[in-house]
Amino acid sequence: MNQLMRMTVLVVLLAFALMYGASALNSSQGYSGANTLTIYNWGDYIDPELITEFEKESGLKVIYSTFDSNEAMMTKIEQGGTTFDISVPSEYAISKMKEENLLLPIDKSKLPNLKYIDPKYMNLSFDPNNEYSIPYFWGTVGIVYNPELVKGIEFKSWDDLWNPSLHNQILLVDGAREVIGFGLNSLHYSLNDTNEEHLQQAKNKLKELTPNVKAIVGDEIKLLLANEEAAVGVVWSGDAAEIIDENDKLTYVVPEEGSNLWFDNIVIPKTAKNVEGAHKFINFMLDPEHAAQNAEYVGYATPNKKALELLPEDISGDKRFYPSPEVTAKLEVYRNLGKRMLSHYNDLFLEFKMHRK
Amino acid sequence: MKRSLKWSNIYLWLVFIILYAPILYLSYYSFNSGGSMHGFEGFTLEWYKEVFADTRLLIILLNTLVIALFASVISTILGVIGAIAIHHVRKRSNQSTLLSLNNVLIVSPDVIIGASFLILFTMIGIKLGFASVLISHIAFSVPIVVIMVLPRLEEMSPTLLDAARDLGATEWDVLTKVMLPFIKSGIFAGFFMALTYSLDDFAVTFFVTGNGFTTLSVEIYSRARQGVSLSINALSTLIFVFTMLLVVGYYFLNRRSRGQVSGRTGSGKEWGLANK
Repeated sequence: MNQLMRMTVLVVLLAFALMYGASALNSSQGYSGANTLTIYNWGDYIDPELITEFEKESGLKVIYSTFDSNEAMMTKIEQGGTTFDISVPSEYAISKMKEENLLLPIDKSKLPNLKYIDPKYMNLSFDPNNEYSIPYFWGTVGIVYNPELVKGIEFKSWDDLWNPSLHNQILLVDGAREVIGFGLNSLHYSLNDTNEEHLQQAKNKLKELTPNVKAIVGDEIKLLLANEEAAVGVVWSGDAAEIIDENDKLTYVVPEEGSNLWFDNIVIPKTAKNVEGAHKFINFMLDPEHAAQNAEYVGYATPNKKALELLPEDISGDKRFYPSPEVTAKLEVYRNLGKRMLSHYNDLFLEFKMHRK
Repeated sequence: MKRSLKWSNIYLWLVFIILYAPILYLSYYSFNSGGSMHGFEGFTLEWYKEVFADTRLLIILLNTLVIALFASVISTILGVIGAIAIHHVRKRSNQSTLLSLNNVLIVSPDVIIGASFLILFTMIGIKLGFASVLISHIAFSVPIVVIMVLPRLEEMSPTLLDAARDLGATEWDVLTKVMLPFIKSGIFAGFFMALTYSLDDFAVTFFVTGNGFTTLSVEIYSRARQGVSLSINALSTLIFVFTMLLVVGYYFLNRRSRGQVSGRTGSGKEWGLANK
């Protein structure tokens, strides 16, 4: 009994000591106090130095949390147990959150730096007039490939994926909109096509792709491609940047028929307690210098026109991630197709998955 | 005979190699100056420096340990009380019902437990953060402690308790001087199981974290989306070494106290054996 008591006391003391250590570290970081701003962002999606700088500039203390998928983030915000002041969902999540009244409108008069954003990234279908969201990063869907392994194919067109020499060499992201989308694109239809005949054509065309598809995978696609487990992958440009970072033999193209243009935008969830601070933070991130620094750290494309000028030439001039106007003109943003059409897309994708081999 | 012994040795070594190889592989690359797991370029302590420079990560690590220690102590206390209570249930069928209910909680999937807690906390309005994580960790650790302690209680002969009472022990004396020392090893085993369960739990914690409070498993998971940095390798190596030290420390502690027990005459343990 004595020994049990001793051990219990010891463990509890140790726990309190660690707790004291954590709170000491917390207050050395200045996390205590009521004047805080809680940010909920994707993992590793901001330059940590910018947070420190923002804290210094605004006098606010930042609590920074991360999520790994739009769905997880939405659940947490819907649940409402946490007071997130800032979040960064993707465009389809924004329209969903709008429908479910999870967002607060943004007061643009508090964002003088908004003028630096390129107008072509504003007023898009998922959030007309940018009532609820401000562009943060954008990117495309395209093909990552290893020139050494594909024997001279240059992937100018989506049709190159159907090349018989690529037997069992292609990895696809596990997304219905992405896969059906490039099926439609390869037939020169819109990504947001709801014409049943066009969709069937796309499905039949995708069926012919199956011998070339090695696997349909999630986030591990980056690792598999970087390790040269497959020669070709259909991925988002952000993933492509990381893959190329890991293994510079690979390269990335956006096929000429067009592709998807995606956005991650800053929003203020309805759980926000510090709406004033949230606006301050958005304005801070819109500052061209900060946006450039952030884009350089994260590696995604910035919608900030002025920031683009500040970026080094080898980043802003990289046609793979900042495509030329001819290419961007063909890019399309996903429209919210509604629940029924979306589940139809999912069904078609499922059929495609079942037809594998 | 000799031959089969040798084979079993080889088998044992093989199992251990398979169990430890991934951890050693991960630790090995934590010293890689190359920055990725693709090839070893040279020795560096840069990643360890990065771990200690990353205050946010350190706070999360400390949070994880605090939660684990509190959760395992509290759940050990609750679990021991629960086990004794189940042991004292007279009717055999009632006892086995209680035990199966306990086991259902062990085998039910973490996601379900996590989701149910999320719904519960939302309904009764508990803010997500330290308290919610602690409560749910205690909840899934208690059944494990019960299952670790109960076999020791079953081993204990009832005549041992009767003898203690005959010799004038009060119920409190019986509990603290006879019963608890006898089931001590079960209690320790339960404590350490609860500790490891709490340290590595992802699914339940994922649902109930909030307000800037996270644990290591949740943090590493969201970082992994962008590719795991080698500083995570370094941190994992540090935690592995820490656990090793803990186990070795426990081993020596155990050996010392066992030596004391066998040195004394008439300790509870020998009585229990003699009565069998």
